[in-house]
Amino acid sequence: MLAEYHPLPGAFDELLGANERLRATVEAMLDGRSSEEFARTQALAEAALLNQGVTFSVYSDSRGVEKIFPVCLLPRIISAAEWSRLERGLQQRVLALEAFVEDVYADQRILEAGDIPRAVVLGSAQYLPALRGIRPPAGVRIHISGIDLIRDGAGVFRVLEDNLRTPSGVSYVLENRLLSKRLLARAFEAARVRPVNQYPARLAAALRSVSPVSPEETTLVVLTPGPYNSAYFEHSFLARQMGVELVEAADLFVDDDRLFVQTIRGPKRVHVVYRRTDDAFLDPEVFRPDSILGVRGLLRAWARGNVALANAPGNGVADDKGVYPFVPEMIRFYLGEEPLLEQVPTYQCARPEERAYVLEHLSELVVKVVDEAGGYGMLMGPTSTAEERAEFRRRILADPRRYVAQPRIELSTCPTWVSQGQCIAPRRVDFRPYVLNSAGGPWVLPGGLTRVALREGSYVVNSSQGGGSKDTWVLKGEG
Amino acid sequence: MISRVADHCFWMGRYLERVESTSRVLRVTSSLVLDAILPPEQVWTSALAVSGEEESFVERNGVAAVGDGFRVTEFLTWDPAVRSSLARSVQAARENARSIREVVSLEAWEAINELHVWLHDGSGRTEWAVRPDAFYRQVRTWTQLILGAVEHTMLHDNAIDFIMLGVFLERVGQTARILDVHHHALMQLPADLVREETLWLSLLRACAGFEPFMKRKAGRVTPGEVATFLMLEPRFPRSLVFCLGEADQRLASIRSPGDEAFPPLRCQARLAALESFLASRRVPDEDLHALLTRVVDEIAAICSELHEELFQAPQRAWSPVRGEQLRAEA
Repeated sequence: MLAEYHPLPGAFDELLGANERLRATVEAMLDGRSSEEFARTQALAEAALLNQGVTFSVYSDSRGVEKIFPVCLLPRIISAAEWSRLERGLQQRVLALEAFVEDVYADQRILEAGDIPRAVVLGSAQYLPALRGIRPPAGVRIHISGIDLIRDGAGVFRVLEDNLRTPSGVSYVLENRLLSKRLLARAFEAARVRPVNQYPARLAAALRSVSPVSPEETTLVVLTPGPYNSAYFEHSFLARQMGVELVEAADLFVDDDRLFVQTIRGPKRVHVVYRRTDDAFLDPEVFRPDSILGVRGLLRAWARGNVALANAPGNGVADDKGVYPFVPEMIRFYLGEEPLLEQVPTYQCARPEERAYVLEHLSELVVKVVDEAGGYGMLMGPTSTAEERAEFRRRILADPRRYVAQPRIELSTCPTWVSQGQCIAPRRVDFRPYVLNSAGGPWVLPGGLTRVALREGSYVVNSSQGGGSKDTWVLKGEG
Repeated sequence: MISRVADHCFWMGRYLERVESTSRVLRVTSSLVLDAILPPEQVWTSALAVSGEEESFVERNGVAAVGDGFRVTEFLTWDPAVRSSLARSVQAARENARSIREVVSLEAWEAINELHVWLHDGSGRTEWAVRPDAFYRQVRTWTQLILGAVEHTMLHDNAIDFIMLGVFLERVGQTARILDVHHHALMQLPADLVREETLWLSLLRACAGFEPFMKRKAGRVTPGEVATFLMLEPRFPRSLVFCLGEADQRLASIRSPGDEAFPPLRCQARLAALESFLASRRVPDEDLHALLTRVVDEIAAICSELHEELFQAPQRAWSPVRGEQLRAEA
C-alpha cells in the first residue's frame, strides 16, 4: 500500500525521514494487507470505541452529543535514542516551570532579577494574586503536565506550548494502545514497544505522595465537572483505573478547613483531589461566585495544608502563551542549565517593535490568544482571508498583551489511513507527552498522544476541529 | 459509598428493570391480541394502564387509537416524550450508568452502551418495524445480559446492593400494577369468560411466571390461584414477597443490623412492615385492588425515605456531632 505514498514538500516525513528500523516496522505492519483488509480493521477499531463509549462530548446543544475521537491504527513511532533526548528535555522543562510557579507565588526572584518582564507575568489573566504566600502540600504544583511538541521541517522536536492546568488526552493513549495490541498484535510484538499501562498506578502514587497524611491513610478522589463535560470519559476512566472515587462538587463540602465527601454513612475526610475543574470554578468563595461546579472553602482548606489539589491552582501563569517565550530563561535562572528542547520563535505583541513586525506579516504568521486553548481564537495567517486579518489587526491593537505570533511551522507528517480514498497518505501530526511530578521528581510516560490533522492540507489537530489520534510507539533500546 | 453514586446505582437498577418489564408486557400483549376473545382496545388499554400512560396516549392520539396496536407499541417503545417509554428508560439507565462509570464494571457498561447504540443508530428501529417480536425479545435478552454482567463481573459491595435494590423495588411495583390492571379488566368479563384460561396465562407470561406457575400448581389455572402465586409465592423471583425479601436483604447488607455508627433506617423498617403485612394476607378473600394499591403506594413512600436518608446532598445532612467524631479520627 506504500507504493503510492508521496511526502508533502517542505514537511519532515516521519516514515521516509526515519531510520531503517522504523521504516521496516511500518512496512512489516502493512505487509500483505490489502487496503480492503486494512479498512475492515479500521472499522473494527472505530466500532470498539463506540461500543465502549470511549467518547468526548461536543457542546452543540445543552445536553452534549457524544462522538468518538477518530483513531488511525497506523502508529507514530519514536526510536529509543530520540526518546531518551526528549525525556531528559521534558524533565528539565517541568522542573524549571515548577520552580517558576513556586517563585511567582513567593518572592518573585526572577522578576527582581529582571530576566522576565514583570508586566508579562503579573499581567497574565492566569496569575492569581490571592494565592501569593501559599505553599501547597509537599511543595508540588505541576503534578500532571502535557507538553505539546511538534517536529519542524528538519525533523527537530520543538515545544509548541505547555499545559500545566488540566491537560487531557491520556485516556486515549491507553485506549489506543489496547486497540494496537488487539488489532495489530504481530507487528506490535515485533516492534518491541515500551508499555504505557503503568500510567494510572504511577499517577495514583504521585498523587498519594503529596498527601497531608501517609499514603496508606489517604483518601484520593477525582473531581469532575460532570457527565456533560467534554472530557468526562477520561475523568471516569482515570478514577476507574486508579480504583478511586469520582466525585462531583456537590458531593464535597468543607468544614473547619477540612474537606469531606458525603457518603451513605455520613461525611468522610478527603486528602487529595485530582481536580479536572478549571481554577475559576473551583471555589465560589475565591473565584467565580456563580460557580456551581465549585466547593465553598476549598481554597482555605488547601492553603491550610489540609488537602492537596492537583494540579495546584494558579499554574496557568506558567503556561500562558505570553510567558512561554521565557521558559529558556527560567531553565537558565533556576537550574543553571542550557535548555535541551527547542521552542518556536515567538513575537510578543506587547513589545512595540515585535508588534509592528507581526502586523506587517499577518499573512505569514500564526497569531494566538495567550490564554485560550483547544485551537480556538487563532489566526492561521497563510490560509486566512483579508477580513480575518483586518479583524485580528483591530484586536491586537486593542489589547496587545493578549496576543503572540509565531511563524507557521511545517508540522511533520506520518502515514495515515484516509477512509474516503481507502489509501495511505501523509497527514500532519503533533505530540503530547505526559509528565508526572511528585515528591520524588518528574517521570515521563514513555508514549503520549499523537494527534493528526485528518483533513488533507490541514494543520489543525484538535479533536474539536477534525483531528484524530494515533498510538505512539516508543521503541525499546537496540540491545 | 458516596450518596450521589448510591442514588445513580439505584436508578440504574430501576430503569433496567423497567425496560425489561415494558418489553415483556408489549411482547405478550402483541401476541395475546392475535387470538384473544377480547376486543383489541381492551387488550391495549391494559398495556397502557400498566405503564401509567393511558391518559396521555388518549390525549395525544384520541380514544379510537387505543385499539391500534402499532400506535400503542410505537408510543410505549419509541416516544421520547413518554416518560416510561422503552427508549427513554434505556436512555435513563445508560445516563445513570455513565454518571458512575468508575463503579459499573466495563462489561456491564459495554452491554448497556451497546443496547443504547442499537436503539439509536437505526438498527433497533428497523428490527422493530420488521419483526417486533424479535425486537422485544432482543431487548429483554439484553437487559438480562446487563444484569448478569453486573452480578458476575462487579465487586459484590454496596454498589451492587443499590443496583439490585432498585431492580427489586421496581419489580414489586411492576408486578403489582400488571396484576392489578389485568385482574380488574378480566373480572369485568361475563362469568363464563372469566374462567377463560388463555387470559390468565398471558398475565402469567407478562410476569415470566407461566412455567413456574404450572410447576407449582400442577395446571390448576383459576383467577385466585394466579393472583396468589404472583403475590405470595416465596420461590418465584417476580412475586411481591420474593422481591420485598430480596430488597430487604440488600438493605441489610447496606446497613447491617446492630451497626452502631450507622443510624437505623426508616425505609428498612417500613419495608419489613410491608413484607409481614403481605405475608399475613389470604389473597382470594381480599379486595385485591385495595391491597395492590397499598403496595404501590408503600413502595413510593419507601423510595422517598431512601432518598432522604441515603441519597441526600451533603450540606443538609451534615451533623456537627458526627463531624466532631470524624475530626477526632482524622
